[in-house]
Amino acid sequence: MPNEKIGPWSSDSIPLGSQYWDTGWFGLLFILIFLGFILFNVLRAGSNKNLFIRRIPGLNAIDEAVGRATEMGKPILMVPGLSDPVNAIAVQAINICSYVTKTAAKFSNPIIMCAYSASMYTLAQEVIRDVYQQEGVPERFDPDSVRYISDRQFAFAAGVSGIIHREQTAATFFLGEFYAESLIFAETANSIGAIQVASSTEATQTPFFIAACDYVLIGDEFYAASAYLTREPVLVGSLIGQDWSKVFAIMCILCGAVSQSVFSCGHAKAVEEIVSSSNGDQTIIAEELKKLKDAEKHQFVFSKLFKTMDPPEDLKVERDPKPADEASPLVGVPK
Amino acid sequence: MRESQINFWSKVPFSGPLWMMILLTLLVGFGIVFALTKAPTQARRPITWILTFLSGAFFVAYQYWPHSINFDKNKELPKGAVEGVSAWMNETTSIVGTIAQVLAAFMLGLGIFSIMKIHGTKIIKQQKDWPFSVVLIGSLLAMLFFGYGDFHVREATKTMDFDNPNNWGFINMGRDFLFEGLLQQMDAAMFSIIAFFILSAAYRAFRARSVEATILLGTALLVILSLMGVVAFAWDGLVDKIAGQPGPTRDIILNLRISEIANWIKNTFQTPAITGIRFGIGLGTLSMALRIWLGLEKGSK
Repeated sequence: MPNEKIGPWSSDSIPLGSQYWDTGWFGLLFILIFLGFILFNVLRAGSNKNLFIRRIPGLNAIDEAVGRATEMGKPILMVPGLSDPVNAIAVQAINICSYVTKTAAKFSNPIIMCAYSASMYTLAQEVIRDVYQQEGVPERFDPDSVRYISDRQFAFAAGVSGIIHREQTAATFFLGEFYAESLIFAETANSIGAIQVASSTEATQTPFFIAACDYVLIGDEFYAASAYLTREPVLVGSLIGQDWSKVFAIMCILCGAVSQSVFSCGHAKAVEEIVSSSNGDQTIIAEELKKLKDAEKHQFVFSKLFKTMDPPEDLKVERDPKPADEASPLVGVPK
Repeated sequence: MRESQINFWSKVPFSGPLWMMILLTLLVGFGIVFALTKAPTQARRPITWILTFLSGAFFVAYQYWPHSINFDKNKELPKGAVEGVSAWMNETTSIVGTIAQVLAAFMLGLGIFSIMKIHGTKIIKQQKDWPFSVVLIGSLLAMLFFGYGDFHVREATKTMDFDNPNNWGFINMGRDFLFEGLLQQMDAAMFSIIAFFILSAAYRAFRARSVEATILLGTALLVILSLMGVVAFAWDGLVDKIAGQPGPTRDIILNLRISEIANWIKNTFQTPAITGIRFGIGLGTLSMALRIWLGLEKGSK
């Protein structure tokens, strides 16, 4: 269907925008709407200090876990996930760890942070050092408290498990990206009776943490942690922006469900009419169904906005050919 | 190097412009690092933010700038300025993406320094379990030696078939023993203990201590039973027998097959719940990325 108009872009008008083809633009618009909500609420939070955030038990447990470790005189272990290289998830994990460190620094409690990647190690060391400086106790910072273990998944798991056993940590924090090793960490910490606070951005690992840990931050609670702990307007505002986005998404889901139900109902009725009016003639039924399908292509259904369609592979866009000398720039290259 | 890899960013191998670009990049890179170390602490944040913003802006532009449709860069020239920019962005994305890997490679040295420092101190001071630190540092050095040795041998004699172990020398055998023989096996051993941990965690999680835990226990039991061939066969057979003759009643009763119940649990509860969690995580990541990009993220205070 090279010349058929499928979406807002057609082959004969604009040969660009494969990501906008059909309803692809809707996804990008959706993201822009979310970003708008977040930015608007960040601005709003600057002037309104009394925005509400619901209670998150896992985050209340942080102080409890640090307090317990202080009473027992044992170290606190933090693992900011297996992000490599450092990404937004790792930054958030380090943010929560820095809050834990801040609390630990107040009580002179030793900490151990295990880094999976070299970049995470460098970042973590800088952040932890900063925390001790901000608390006015830079001399309490032990550079060896932040350790690079290994960037191999199970070597890292073995290393962290060994540290948990040897150091007999009283509280453990597993926050960030975790995969198959999540249960090894959680069960090892459980075996020595440590309090475990955990959160994984991997939905498949969250059940393991729920089964094995004392407190778990589920899904976006992990990102809500900074706002909850610090009450900083920017963070609180962006958290409320996320909530607005969720409400917007829920409304879209409801509209989509209603729209799809109405469409399916109409489709079923149309098929029924075709079958009853054709007197069982399969050729007529096939022809009529094809016509119906074609007609439905142009029918607006809200749920269709979420089903993007790539440009057809046979869609031909006229372009000038590449000159021969430019097409082979490797002439004379030693092999 | 394939033809398609020659573009604005990658020059012809062994050519003058390539060496010039490498030199220039190193100079600029070291210049930025040097400037950052000399800059006052207050100035570092804006510099870092500007670099972050520019990098982020590139990827945002890449997502929103109209992409070419069915464009073959080896045979065709971009049509117009907009498509030209799109083609340039396509070429650039992978290059810009690898910059992070290059930076991470530089940091690996710091990671190795950390390991050497912690375990070296342990050995020198003969602290508790110091022999294990000797094993660790010995393993690190051995892997470095055999790994690079093996790479060097393979690169030097490319005509030789190294898939055939008969062609291996001492260095290749050493690498194979350390990597395939030890490391991979130990990885597998660590992975396999998860099976036992699943059992112990499941035992704790499925104890009926509260209403929620009891519901969890019930649903888990149904899903587990549905995966047991004999149980599923017997249960479904019994339901089929009870359902009797075809009709509306039978259709309703057939919903009580254990495979149907398990599918209903998975499709009606599990999948939407996981999708919801993923959506929340996605929104959180988006919000975090926006804050980092715009320099609004100041870290925990």
